[in-house]
Amino acid sequence: MAASFATVCRVSTRLVSRRVTQGAAVRGFRTSAALPAAQNFTMPALSPTMTEGNIATWKVKEGDGFAAGDVLLEIETDKASMDVEAQEDGIMFKIFEGDGTKGIQVGTRIGLLAEPGDDISQLEIPADESKPAAKEAKREEPSQPLKPTENPPQKKAVNPSKPKKSGQKAPKLAYPLYPSVEHLIKEHKLDESAISEITPTGPQGRLLKGDVLAYLGAISKGRPSEIEARFNHNAHLDLSNIKLAKPAAAPPAKKTDKPAAAEFPIPKDLLVSLPVSLAAVIEVQKKIQDNLGTFMPLSTFVSRAAELANDELPLAGNFKPTADDLFNQVLGLDKVDPKVSRGYYMPQISALPPSSFTGVAPKPKSAKVDIIDFLAGTVKRSAPKSLRTSGISTGVNTFSLTVSKPEEKRAQAFLARLKVVLENDPGRLVL
Amino acid sequence: MLSSRLLPRSAVRARSAFRPSTLPAIVRTYASSSEEKDLVIIGGGVAGYVAAIKAGQEGMKVTCIEKRGMLGGTCLNVGCIPSKSLLNNSHLYHQILHDTKNRGIEVGDVKLNLKEMMKAKDTSVTGLTKGIEFLFKKNGVEYIKGTGTFASENEIKVALNEGGETSVKGKNILIATGSEATPFPGLEIDEKRVITSTGALALEKVPESMVVIGGGIIGLEMGSVWSRLGAKVTVVEFLNQIGGPGMDAEIAKSAQKLLKKQGMEFKLGTKVNSGDNSGDKIKLEVDSSKGGKPETLEADVVLVAIGRRPYTAGLGLENIGLEVDDRGRVVIDSEYRTKAAHIRCIGDCTFGPMLAHKAEEEAVAAVEYIKKGYGHVNYGVIPSVMYTHPEVAWVGQNEQELKSQNIPYKVGTFPFSANSRAKTNLDTEGMVKMLADPETDRLLGCHIIGPNAGEMIAEATLALEYGASTEDIARTCHAHPTLAEAFKEAAMATYSKAIHF
Repeated sequence: MAASFATVCRVSTRLVSRRVTQGAAVRGFRTSAALPAAQNFTMPALSPTMTEGNIATWKVKEGDGFAAGDVLLEIETDKASMDVEAQEDGIMFKIFEGDGTKGIQVGTRIGLLAEPGDDISQLEIPADESKPAAKEAKREEPSQPLKPTENPPQKKAVNPSKPKKSGQKAPKLAYPLYPSVEHLIKEHKLDESAISEITPTGPQGRLLKGDVLAYLGAISKGRPSEIEARFNHNAHLDLSNIKLAKPAAAPPAKKTDKPAAAEFPIPKDLLVSLPVSLAAVIEVQKKIQDNLGTFMPLSTFVSRAAELANDELPLAGNFKPTADDLFNQVLGLDKVDPKVSRGYYMPQISALPPSSFTGVAPKPKSAKVDIIDFLAGTVKRSAPKSLRTSGISTGVNTFSLTVSKPEEKRAQAFLARLKVVLENDPGRLVL
Repeated sequence: MLSSRLLPRSAVRARSAFRPSTLPAIVRTYASSSEEKDLVIIGGGVAGYVAAIKAGQEGMKVTCIEKRGMLGGTCLNVGCIPSKSLLNNSHLYHQILHDTKNRGIEVGDVKLNLKEMMKAKDTSVTGLTKGIEFLFKKNGVEYIKGTGTFASENEIKVALNEGGETSVKGKNILIATGSEATPFPGLEIDEKRVITSTGALALEKVPESMVVIGGGIIGLEMGSVWSRLGAKVTVVEFLNQIGGPGMDAEIAKSAQKLLKKQGMEFKLGTKVNSGDNSGDKIKLEVDSSKGGKPETLEADVVLVAIGRRPYTAGLGLENIGLEVDDRGRVVIDSEYRTKAAHIRCIGDCTFGPMLAHKAEEEAVAAVEYIKKGYGHVNYGVIPSVMYTHPEVAWVGQNEQELKSQNIPYKVGTFPFSANSRAKTNLDTEGMVKMLADPETDRLLGCHIIGPNAGEMIAEATLALEYGASTEDIARTCHAHPTLAEAFKEAAMATYSKAIHF
C-alpha cells in the first residue's frame, strides 16, 4: 500500500515537472521573438483525479534561484502531501498564493518563474491564463517533427482538465481523427488552419481520408461529396415508386400529442391517524410488574404490535413489482399472489388531546416539500420516532403515520390492526 | 431482535383475524374501452415488442396485441432463433461424424436423437419468449393475447384468444404484423410433406430426400440442417445465383461450391412448373428457365422457401382506408406514417428488407418519431447473415450492384486459408472481400464467407456507418491470432497490400 502510494507520488511529481518543462519550451520560443517574459507557474495536478489542493509551504522565496531537482513547494491534497520539484534551473520570480492557501484549483496561477540570469526587474509578466500557453504548445507541435511521439502523450497527461477550465469554445473536432486522416496530415505536414479548411463529407461532419486527398489535390475535388450524396441516398428507404397513389402529402402536423414536459410530481404527504386506547396495555403492564416483577415499557408493546400489524398489508396504490417478482411471475413461481406485502411502519403516538403541559404537541406537518423527499424516492415510512411516553395517556391516544397519498389505504389497514392488537389482547404480545 | 423472535407464535394466531380485510377483490381487467392509450401496437414480433418496450421506457402508456400467444413473432418462434438452434446442433453432429479423426479425436458410435435436438430448440425458444414477457412487465407494457382489427382510426377491436372481445383506443397506433411465407401456387402447404420454414423446424423424422424451392437464405439454412442430418437435399433456384439478390455473386458462387461439397445439390436457373403431392413421393415438374429440357424431381418433403410476403390479413386496413402496394406492403412515408398520421407501420409488413434487426431499428425510430419528433434508421448499412457453414455475411453494396450503377470501385480480398487462426481451427474455407471507392478509399461494401462471418460483419457495419476508408480499418489493431485479422488484411489488400498473402 505504502509502496504503491509512493509510486503514485513519484509519478505525479514527474508529471508536474514535465509541465514545467513544456512551459519552458513555450517560453523559449517566445524569447527568441520578443522581450524575455516570466512564465506562469500553475497549480499542478498531482494525480489524474486531483482538482484542487492546498499549498503547505513554499520552500523557495521570491527572488531565490533554484536548480533542477530542488523542491519548490509542498502541496497538500485531501489524500496526501507531496513535494513539487523543479525540472530545470530557474528563479522564483513571484509567488501569488502564499503558504497555507487552501482550495486552489488545478491550473490556477500560483507563481511566476524566470530563467537563470534573467533580470527580474525587466521581466514581462504574462497574463494570468494558463490557456494561451497551452494553445501555443499545441501550435508548435507540427513545427517540431523531430519528436512527434513525445508530444501527444504529454499533452494528454498534463492537461486533462484544461479544456473544462478555460472559457474558450470547444475545439472544432470533438472526436479523434481517423487513422488514415491522421496519417495524411502528418505526412503532408498540414497544420490546424489547413485542417479547418478541409470540407468534411463523413457522417456528422467527420473528416474522411477522401476529404484530405481532395484537399491535397490527389483526387478530383467533387469526388467525396458525390460519394456522400450516394450514401445519403442509400440511407433512406426507397419509397419513390410505390405502385399505388401515394397518400396526399401528409400534413406537417408532426405529432398529434406533444406531451407536455412531465412535471415531477410533488409527493403530498398525508397524515393518517387513528385513536387507540392504551388502557388494556397498561393493565397488562401492571399485571406483569405485579406478577413477574419486570417492567415492560409501553414502547415494547407498541413495537411488537407494529411488527404484527405490518405483516401482509395491502399493496400501496403505486406499488411496482421488483424485477425478481416479475421474473418469478413469468416463470410461474408466484404461487403466493403479491396482493399483500410486508410494511415498515412505525406509528407516532400522541395523547388525545395533546396535553400541553405534559409533553410536546405533535409538530404540525410543514407544507413545504423537503428536497430529501425527492432524493429518497417514495416515502416508505414515517421516521421511526422514539415514543414520547410523556405524550401517552392511559386513555385514548392518537396513532398516526405520515405517508404518501397512494399508501393511504395501506397505512389505514396498518393502524386498524394495531388498534385491534393493542386494545383487545395486548397480553399476547409479551407471552 | 428479541421481539421478533418472540412474535411468530402470536403472529400466526393473529394473522387469521386480518385476512378478510387485507384481500382486495382480484379483478383482472383489460384496458377498459374508455381509457385511451398513448400507443397501441398490433403485433408482438420483433418490431412490435421492441417498440412496446421502448415506448414503455419512454413513459408512454402502451398496449401490445399479439395473437400467437407467444411474444417474439416469427423470429423467436419459427424463424431466426429455432433455426439457429438446429443449425448449430446439426453442425456439431455433422462435425462429430465427419471431422474428428484428423483432429485426433476418435469417436465411437454417433447417433442422432432428433427428439432431443428439437427439445433443445424449444428450450431456447421458450426461454427467450418468456424473457420478453418479463421485459413487458418490467416496462409496464400491457399485453393482450388476441387478434386486433381496426374498428375506427383510433379504436382496435381485439378478439381475445381465451374467448370474448375487448377494444383498445390509442392516440397512436403501430402496425407491426410482420410477414408469412409465400405459398407456392399449385402446392398446398400441409407443413408435413409440403412445408415452409415453420414446418422445416419441426419435422418428426429426417426425410430421405428433400427438394428446396428457392435458394435464398432461408432455403439454404434449412436445407443445410436436413442435409447434415442425413437428407438428400436438392435446391431449385430460379435465378442464376444462390443467396438472393443481395449476396455478392463471387461470394455466392463460393458458397455454392462449399455447400455442394457438403452434399447439397443445386439446380440454378431452374423453374418449378408444377407439383403433385398425391403419391408417396412428391413430384415436381421443373425446367430450365432459359427453356431447357423439362425434368421431374421426386422428394419425400418439399420445402417452399420462395420468399415472404407482408401479413395484414384480418387487420381491417380497408375499414379505415389504409393503402397497401401491389405486393401487399402497407404504404408509409419516411416517418413510417400511413395515410392516417397517427397510424404508423414498421417491420416486415412494410417496405425494406425483411430482417429482424431492421424491424428492431425501425421500432425504436418510430417510437422516437412519436415521442420526440425525430428518429433515424440508416438503411444503407443493414447487415445480412446466412448461418450456413461456412457463414456468409455482408453489408453495403455488392459488386454486381456497383457495376450495374456504373459506380467505380476497387476490390481487396483475403482468404481464410492465409489466416493463422483459421489454420489452427482447420476451418480455412472462405474469404473476406472489400469494395471501396478507388479514389477516396471509402468503404462501399464488405462481403465475407467463412467461419464466424456473422460476427465479423459487425466491424464492417461500424466502418460503413462512420464512413471509414479501408486504410482506417487496416490501421486499426486487430488481435492475433484471430479470424478478424483476415478482415484487417483484406482492408490492407484494398488500399495497399496484404502482409500475409
